[in-house]
Amino acid sequence: MEYVSPEGLRLDGRRPMEMRQIRAEIGTIMKADGSAVFEMGNTKVVAAVYGPREVQNRGQQISDKALVRCEYSMANFSTGDRMRKPKGDRRSTEISLVIRQTMEESILTHLMPRSQIDIYVQVLQADGGTRSACINAATLALADAGIPMRDLVTSCSAGYLNSTPLLDLNYVEDSAGGPDVTLGILPKLDKVTLLQMDSKLPIDIFENVMQLATEGCKAVANYIRELLLENTKELEYRRGV
Amino acid sequence: MRGLQLPLSQTQKIRLQRALEQLESLSSKVNSDASVTVSDSIPVNYEDSILKGHGTQDLNGQVVATVCGVVERVNKFVYVRALRARYKPETGDIVIGRVIEVAPKRWRVEINYRHDAVLMLSSMNLPDGIQRRRTAVDELNMRSIFEENDVICAEIRDSQHDSVHLQARSQKYGKLNRGQLLTITPYLVKRQKQHFHYLEQYGIDLILGCNGFIWVGEHVEVTDDMVEDQGNKSGTSLTSLEVQERSYTPIETRQYICRTANAVRVLSTLGFNITLEVIKETIDLSLSVNLDIHDMLGSEFCVLVAEREAERRSSVKKR
Amino acid sequence: MLHSKSFVKKSRAGRVTKVVREHYLRDDIYCGASICKVCDSSVARLSASASTILVLDTNVVLNQIDLLENPAIDDVVVLSVVLDEVKNKNMAVYNRLRALCSNSLRKFFVFSNEHHKDTYVKEMSGESKNDRNDRAIRVASQWYQSHLGDEVRVLLITNDRENRRKAVEEGIFAETVESYVKSLGQPDLLDLLVQPASEDVDMAEVEDLRPSKRKVIYNEHKPMSEITSGLHRGIYHQGKLRVNRYNPFEAYVGSESIGDEIVIYGRTNMNRAFDSDIVAVELLPQDQWHEEKSLSIAEDEEDEEDVHLVPSSADDAPRTTLPQQDSSRETNPVSYRPFGRVVGIIKRNWHSYCGSLEPMPMPAGSGSVANALFVSKDRRIPKIRIQTRQLENLLDKRIIVAVDSWDFLSRYPSGHYVRTIGEIGDRDTESEVVLIENDIISRPFSAQVLACLPPLPWSVSPIDLSNPNRMDLCHLRVFSVDPPGCKDIDDALHCSTLPNGNFEVGVHIADVTNFVFPGTPLDDEAAQRGTSTYLVERRIDMLPKPLTEDICSLRADVERLAFSVIWEMTPEAEVISTRFTKSIIKSSAAMSYVEAQARMDDSRLMDPLTTDLRNMNTLAKIMRLRRIDRGALTLASAEVKFQIDTETHDPLDIGMYQIREANQMVEEFMLAANVSVAKQILDHFPLCSLLRRHPTPTREMLEPLLRTAAAVGLHLDVSSSKALADSLDHALGDDPYFNKLIRILATRCMTQAVYFCSGDLSRPEYHHYGLAAPLYTHFTSPIRRYADVIVHRLLAASLNIDKLPSIFQDRPQLTSISDNLNYRHRNAQMAGRASVELHTLIYFRKRPTDAEARIVKIRSNGFIVFVPKYGIEGPVYLTSRAEKGGGEWYVDEPQQKIKKMDGSLSYSVLQAVKIHMEVVEPQPNRPKLQLTLI
Repeated sequence: MEYVSPEGLRLDGRRPMEMRQIRAEIGTIMKADGSAVFEMGNTKVVAAVYGPREVQNRGQQISDKALVRCEYSMANFSTGDRMRKPKGDRRSTEISLVIRQTMEESILTHLMPRSQIDIYVQVLQADGGTRSACINAATLALADAGIPMRDLVTSCSAGYLNSTPLLDLNYVEDSAGGPDVTLGILPKLDKVTLLQMDSKLPIDIFENVMQLATEGCKAVANYIRELLLENTKELEYRRGV
Repeated sequence: MRGLQLPLSQTQKIRLQRALEQLESLSSKVNSDASVTVSDSIPVNYEDSILKGHGTQDLNGQVVATVCGVVERVNKFVYVRALRARYKPETGDIVIGRVIEVAPKRWRVEINYRHDAVLMLSSMNLPDGIQRRRTAVDELNMRSIFEENDVICAEIRDSQHDSVHLQARSQKYGKLNRGQLLTITPYLVKRQKQHFHYLEQYGIDLILGCNGFIWVGEHVEVTDDMVEDQGNKSGTSLTSLEVQERSYTPIETRQYICRTANAVRVLSTLGFNITLEVIKETIDLSLSVNLDIHDMLGSEFCVLVAEREAERRSSVKKR
Repeated sequence: MLHSKSFVKKSRAGRVTKVVREHYLRDDIYCGASICKVCDSSVARLSASASTILVLDTNVVLNQIDLLENPAIDDVVVLSVVLDEVKNKNMAVYNRLRALCSNSLRKFFVFSNEHHKDTYVKEMSGESKNDRNDRAIRVASQWYQSHLGDEVRVLLITNDRENRRKAVEEGIFAETVESYVKSLGQPDLLDLLVQPASEDVDMAEVEDLRPSKRKVIYNEHKPMSEITSGLHRGIYHQGKLRVNRYNPFEAYVGSESIGDEIVIYGRTNMNRAFDSDIVAVELLPQDQWHEEKSLSIAEDEEDEEDVHLVPSSADDAPRTTLPQQDSSRETNPVSYRPFGRVVGIIKRNWHSYCGSLEPMPMPAGSGSVANALFVSKDRRIPKIRIQTRQLENLLDKRIIVAVDSWDFLSRYPSGHYVRTIGEIGDRDTESEVVLIENDIISRPFSAQVLACLPPLPWSVSPIDLSNPNRMDLCHLRVFSVDPPGCKDIDDALHCSTLPNGNFEVGVHIADVTNFVFPGTPLDDEAAQRGTSTYLVERRIDMLPKPLTEDICSLRADVERLAFSVIWEMTPEAEVISTRFTKSIIKSSAAMSYVEAQARMDDSRLMDPLTTDLRNMNTLAKIMRLRRIDRGALTLASAEVKFQIDTETHDPLDIGMYQIREANQMVEEFMLAANVSVAKQILDHFPLCSLLRRHPTPTREMLEPLLRTAAAVGLHLDVSSSKALADSLDHALGDDPYFNKLIRILATRCMTQAVYFCSGDLSRPEYHHYGLAAPLYTHFTSPIRRYADVIVHRLLAASLNIDKLPSIFQDRPQLTSISDNLNYRHRNAQMAGRASVELHTLIYFRKRPTDAEARIVKIRSNGFIVFVPKYGIEGPVYLTSRAEKGGGEWYVDEPQQKIKKMDGSLSYSVLQAVKIHMEVVEPQPNRPKLQLTLI
């Protein structure tokens, strides 16, 4: 299968180093302390953050830091075939764990001892790169909830098909079965909080692919930062003095 | 941008846009530069020794924000005032909360903080108003004072090490009846001298809790303004309670409660500061255009409020 | 960059799902014209001087790809919508079009109109996919015209009448291919044109005028829907049609649904299917399962067995049809092999074919259009009807012809002329034909490939010397033994005595991977070629000449880089240790087999080199013996050797290739090196090693051998390779040549060894039957085989010298590489054989000869003889073809004898006969070797 044409265009018309169009919206769920919708092309994810709040299950309380919980789910209508998506299956448990660990790394949990932060992410529409989109949405939601964070976490995927590193794989490219790197970074600290890869890659090519994914993460970070700043300014001016 | 989840027509969109732009231009230029997001560096004069406050951290010698908000500087002290966040208690704040648990000698109250607040039985004026040691019988009768899910009003006594203690040593505090509880983000409520308001023409009470909980209820006659140790007024307060129990809230009052509540809702959706003045104006506006209560949450009124607010602020600025 | 989205709904088989895909439209797609001032012209392909830019419609590409490949057509814009359509319809044409687009000499530019913001068109409601694509082509043409302005004419070429009409309406210049080609004023280009279907009908009508041709010749193919449902219900069977190489009227369809091969007999039953087409077959009723003429020649067409080289394996040999049928026909009239007929063709495998025109009288007016019949060199292909305007030029030429269509009214498929190779009978032309027929890449190496070569003159550099991974073995007495005149020396040996009485034996292989890096154009080219091809008079290299003959070649007295396998062996040839290393060697002698043999045999010579040789020979003999004990087969082939005139390149003499001890000695060590390397790489890379296996022949495959052996009273035990080897050893007749003959017969029953990727098969399947080795690979000839290059890389990676190239992680690709290697390897062998056949013909053209021959197979009207001296095989007819089936002779199948009715004469298999060989020309320009009994 040809994923990159000799003209250098991918199936959807992007070039190998290009991301899909990204779009985000903050504060989409009124009830939540913080919420956001994040779109990468046709992948659309909503995240809601509740907390920090009293720990529901006293046994889980941690005396010196906050408990971070995460729940990932896919809406029944998120894929082409409308199927009941079982909750708590292996895949969603794994992604929940991945998102939780990634976000926990950036939240200053020690400032909120004995409390609990809940992150709920749901995929509204899936077209590849849901993991990345979930992390980006969760970052926005956490920032919206005013939870102190070490840095923003941004994520982007990259793959390697037809001997070409490709940024931000969509569903078709993702299902090609090639190597697929999902990277999460703290852009300001320049640190990696998430690195996952399906399949195998030689180390030198892997470095190229990861470099590309890092670029993608940084681009997402710029967008998110701009969006947050704009949002903050707006909140401030609307409130008035 | 925080989108309004309202269907707006094209003209409404433009009108809202214009109003918001006006608001933006009215806001002080100094403050707009002070907005930061997570991981933004905060420019400070490093030669001076500075004190880092909330919402900041040190990263390789730089001061970096950890939350989105507005940088505030007080002499050497630099901190980021977070906008959207949970409530942070400060001693003396008047808050509204919901009782979630009755525990030995205390109530646990949800006040939109990361922990539940504690109202000790000892920090509470007894119904009989007599200041005395709390007995085991009092403890057994705690549920007769507040039960689970009761909405109460209290004052922050102190907040240390994550534990927040409340006190309700006045007749103006205590259980709230016959009204609506609204929850909005706390940053929209500014700390003021007066948080209890009596809107006489409507016969309703309005309590703006610092924690973003807002009470709109039927007016209750409070006999003692100041907290007194004397228990001689217990009779009146008791009778007033009894009177309330027996009587029904008249329909007009109920409508005013709803109207006021909707006014707060509209303002909070628009992200405007919630003050008595603005609420009153909004109510007046809704009355002046003869709007039904349920229409107040529609798009037209929303735009109208935005325009009125812009007008109001510009007139304030001119003065 | 402009992004925009469109939504496409797609439904898949079974469940209908809505698929939403993004479609980005861009503003950075350039027009590719060098004259354009707006676009980035660094990628421009269209020439600046072009006055006309062609935009092609899909139907033009699909039908006229041969025309497009002609250099007369240039400055072409290929739209991505056209590419996609072509890709969906015909992958072969797509690949050819892609090759054109990437050819730097041609001016074909791919314009991604589907992603350009101005040329993307949205499907309108009620518009079919085709109409939308046609519209997209028109929109793109229009965009080009307005984009480039009036300086050039953008010409849309379409044979779709509707599309052309609409284009003209929209103000686009549009023409049909025919009118465009006519406007070019090159009449021979017109031959390349495929006649549109409408004219096909005209031709059929013309034929209809002749009463004899009016009838419907073939059954109509069933519609696709009927075939699908038929396949589903098990009435039809799907499979690839394989035509018997030696009898074009017989074909087989391997069907999975039946689990057996279905025999298709005769053109009518084949129903216009070509070799390698995927067909749907219907079984014939059982009473038609036997064919009378299955062993002799059928139908009115000329068809007879040619004299050809002795096949070297079962793959090359003519298929034996229905082994037991004839003998059992009386008792059991129903054959156990099903017969069938083709009802439809699922996928065509048409390509272009080499051959010549059937001789025919010249039409009156030269230059006018003439119909001619084309006869392919490949006998499996039926004659093809073509139209040409240059008949007089083509009659005595080898030409290439492509097939266009074959409708049920015409006996022959119709095609069109593609190009001329040269004159028939000319040696260069015929060699070229051999190369084309066998798909050998013989084009010169491109500049990009040559750019990968190290600068010349090359010598071992200090960097190589200081490389910690490279051992300096220059002090060793290394020598090479090869055929005389060998220039691509890829192996060398050394053998030294160790103080403890053991021997250190080293095999040094040219370090090709030091110069051929993965992913370079050089590597890609070598991977594609797969192997060097050895024709009688020339060699087609896998690697460019400087590498083949100089840099890699382990020539005498120069330092060369090598990859060495070094064993410590006891005098009993037991391996004590094995070592692999990259090395630098300096060969002290490059000997030929004859020289080496002479040295060993000359007892007076006692110099160190000769001692080494003798030591090695002793070891080799022990190893060989041990190998044979394990059950390795000593197979024989009748290889021939030509002596070629250095001036004219014509063969001067011809003879059997002589195998000496020296050959066997070198071979033994190469085998040992290969086995050692196979173990090493498989240990390190159990899933991605490239190995070579030789499947155990089934009893069925050995059947002809057993029958022949039984006829001469010999019992062969074929239960294992060991048993077979033993019984072959015991097969001794009074005739000194008997044993060799039996071995030759045994060899041709086996299939060839093949390359495979270790992850694709399970461990027991790795077995190499012929060598009786559990593991085997190719390591010792990296200059001429790409498989060895791969194995070198694997070995280097296993020693942590190099990183494993990324290709090894991609198993499907590795499998496709090994498939390609097998294909190339086989083709190279076939080409080599074809070349020998060609030269045999040239040799005997001037020298009618008498020779002794052996009968190897009995036929109903004669027998097949094998001429050991020249390594050829061919039919000897006892009855002339005119009196076919005259009944004068009858075949005694169990005895493998052919007897005259009156019993006066009989010939039995393996009998020696005297024959006369002569080249005759039954038809002009069709020389062939004829064998007659003296």
